[in-house]
Amino acid sequence: MSSEPVERRVSYMGDRLRGRRCQICGKEYFEIRDYCGNCGRKSFGKMENIDFFYEKGRLELCTLVNEPTNKFVKFGNYIYGVVSFHNGKIKVPGRLTDRIIGDKEAVDFSALEGREVVPRFRRRYSVGRSEIIPTISLAFTFADEYYPHQEYRVVAPKKEYDKPGIVGYGVYTSRFRIRENNMERAVPFIDEDAITAAVEAGKLALIHSGVDSMLIGKIYVGSESNPYAVKPIASKVAQVLRLGEEDEDVQCVDAVDTEFACKAATSMFKDAAALVSHPKFSIPYAMVIGADNSQAAPRDCPGGELDLFVGFGGCAFIFGKNDVVAEIEGWCSCTSDTPDFWRRDGEPYPMHGGRYTGDPAYFKHVRKAARKLMEQLNLKPGDINYFVAHQPNAYFPVRIAKELGFSEEQYLPSLQVAKFGNTYSGSSPIGLAAVLDIAKPDERILMVSYGSGAGSDAYSFITTSQIIEKRGCQKISVKYLAENPFLEYVDYQTYRRLKAGL
Amino acid sequence: MPPRPVIVGAGRTKFGEHYEKQPERLIEEAWLRASEDAGLERKDLEACYLSDYFLLLTNKLGLEEGFLSELTELHVPMSFTRSFSSAFADACNAIQAGKYDVILVGGIEKMTDRWDKIRDDLMLLGDPWSYYAGGTPESSHELMLRAYIKQHGITGDNLEKLNVALAQISVKNHLHALKNEYAQFQRKITVEQVLEARRSARRPLGLYDFAPISDGAAAVIIASEEVGRKLTDKPVYVLASASATDYLSYHAREDLTGFVATRLAMQRALETAGIRLWDIQLLEVYDQSTLMEMISLEDLGFCKRGEAWKAIFMSCRDYKGYYEINGRKLFVNMNGGLKADGNPLGATGGAQIYEVYKQLRGEAGDRQVKGDGEIRFGGVVELEGFGTKSHVHILGGFR
Repeated sequence: MSSEPVERRVSYMGDRLRGRRCQICGKEYFEIRDYCGNCGRKSFGKMENIDFFYEKGRLELCTLVNEPTNKFVKFGNYIYGVVSFHNGKIKVPGRLTDRIIGDKEAVDFSALEGREVVPRFRRRYSVGRSEIIPTISLAFTFADEYYPHQEYRVVAPKKEYDKPGIVGYGVYTSRFRIRENNMERAVPFIDEDAITAAVEAGKLALIHSGVDSMLIGKIYVGSESNPYAVKPIASKVAQVLRLGEEDEDVQCVDAVDTEFACKAATSMFKDAAALVSHPKFSIPYAMVIGADNSQAAPRDCPGGELDLFVGFGGCAFIFGKNDVVAEIEGWCSCTSDTPDFWRRDGEPYPMHGGRYTGDPAYFKHVRKAARKLMEQLNLKPGDINYFVAHQPNAYFPVRIAKELGFSEEQYLPSLQVAKFGNTYSGSSPIGLAAVLDIAKPDERILMVSYGSGAGSDAYSFITTSQIIEKRGCQKISVKYLAENPFLEYVDYQTYRRLKAGL
Repeated sequence: MPPRPVIVGAGRTKFGEHYEKQPERLIEEAWLRASEDAGLERKDLEACYLSDYFLLLTNKLGLEEGFLSELTELHVPMSFTRSFSSAFADACNAIQAGKYDVILVGGIEKMTDRWDKIRDDLMLLGDPWSYYAGGTPESSHELMLRAYIKQHGITGDNLEKLNVALAQISVKNHLHALKNEYAQFQRKITVEQVLEARRSARRPLGLYDFAPISDGAAAVIIASEEVGRKLTDKPVYVLASASATDYLSYHAREDLTGFVATRLAMQRALETAGIRLWDIQLLEVYDQSTLMEMISLEDLGFCKRGEAWKAIFMSCRDYKGYYEINGRKLFVNMNGGLKADGNPLGATGGAQIYEVYKQLRGEAGDRQVKGDGEIRFGGVVELEGFGTKSHVHILGGFR
């Protein structure tokens, strides 16, 4: 079914809501049409592309679907209706997502109709495990709730820096949380996965940076929960976010997925930075995303101990040399073949290698990378304003921070694991984003990631004055996500159901 | 003057669940009844125009002409369309063109075999974008009701009356079906049952607002006027058969509170028939939901837009067997409508034409309507998809 042409067509138009407008009469179509129905042949060649991926729509009409068609059964109850854009010029069908509606809950449709909504990129419906995963942006959430509407404004660069660095970043986690053992952990809604989180994070990074998506020459996505064993997340991100120059149906961008447990994304920071710095290659920007729907076996199964820690989220960074908010001062990586944690091909959940977790793995590599980088740059703990470590739980990053000589003021701002859970590839990146959200100009940040298997990447960043001005370009900060009044807490059964997805 | 098509016979099966019968058995049953009615043999047929919406999908039957040729041992031209009304219109055109003198028009559907997947099929074929976004066959009707309420600013007491009026439509159609031996549901229901079904569904419309899925077949035999008059002294004239189309996707249409295709088809049909709207007193409308019956009264022009519910509410408080609209009687869905008679898509239009044919000939038995004067004209509306295509036929008595 999924390989049928109709499925591909829906993905093309539906993943990123777009259509065409007749330049003669102004009629708009949610469809790629070569001529306008009103104007006929004379409009041929005069249809301009329109795009409402970053726009706000309005929920015009709605009803409850509690007896869905087969492929929507796993959604449970949901609100479905008609959403308009451009003052009603375009009307599309849409499902409200990120809402759990109880089996007895009454819904007041008139209270929902008329409200503004934002298109969201989500899975479309359930399919068999062997099929292509269908996605769509005909899923919406209210613009005044958890996920606010934000315009994407391309800004002409003001300043070029000597060193490459972070030009913009975006953090995405879901609206749902589970609260257990003094930890809150982000739980994906049922139509979310690592792919949708990567797209969301990338979208927010574009909004924050003001970088023209066409100028991004390479996209790396690191994840250990790609729903596909073969098929990149990066291709989806490139297509939906229109990275690189678009030529017919093709994005002129290099897109690749990387894998190294929780350091799959951080590993590529230096590659992205090197690429944008290369004097002979004209690649102005590169994007790196770490995103995971962190997997854990059920609690009573082998590997189930992780089920108390796993989270959901993604974090994207755009690297370049223009309008940088944090320059890369230096980096150091280390690797050893350590069997502390793995997931065999075809297995749904990862396993821990008993005594290899902890000292022979996390602490050994984080310590090594951090110390070596500090030596290289001749830094003492006192020279560093913020320390960010990979956060598989609340204990490991604190212990290593103390061991390396950092104080609470230096390591606590980055400690986000108790708010979102372990977001695997997104873990240390979200910690870094939390620090970038609050750092002043000319502060030094030491970040050390960790990936099982095993290795660490240490980076030293120095913030610039532009970090302050760009902060106003992003409403969705790490704090905003953690302290949002629209968060919804779910019980264990719901958490497992949502996490398993469609 | 081109030959005029007349209906000389009609037959149908009971609508409902026919697990035990193959699709070809159903159409055979309908055809035999129609041929008996017309006093014809199979060798008299010159062509067959038949319809099914999706036997290809539900019963994995393609090239239906082949199995019908085998069944009837006929080698005449046959063609298949998606709705009974399409087949009927094509057959009328052929008669008018002088190509044939006697044609079998048949319709068949067998939906209950695919009970578990049928709503996905219906949505995907009828409105794929809505399907991909999570829509259901019922949700389009509910959204149209929401649009209607908003557009016409219906609130408070009036909203309550509108909701009751829609319930009354269902109750009325079930009442009519009591006298229809072929109907899927021959039992009474109450307004309270309809309302309770909506409450328990927590939706604007509930179980009793929607037509069922059904198996069944229907057939009519049409002939040129010249041949028809030899076959029967009570031919029913096809005075007009018009259709119009609209977008596949409901949400993309400009007007979400009605069906523009029905409005256009009705205009054309009245022009062709050369009669006025209120010459029609007998109507079979396509009530896939109670809302659709109400909206049809507006689209056809019998009620002003935004006001049909008032006439329905007033007529049904003490129901006399017809709607009373501005002092005039309108007999609607005397067979029980799609709601109670059943809705085997490809055959539904046939059952609608069957009903008007029987009523105009005075052969509807217990269901026979009695107007103030003679009822000379009857109308049939059949939709394809959710208003994507609308057919209007105007039939006239034999005089």
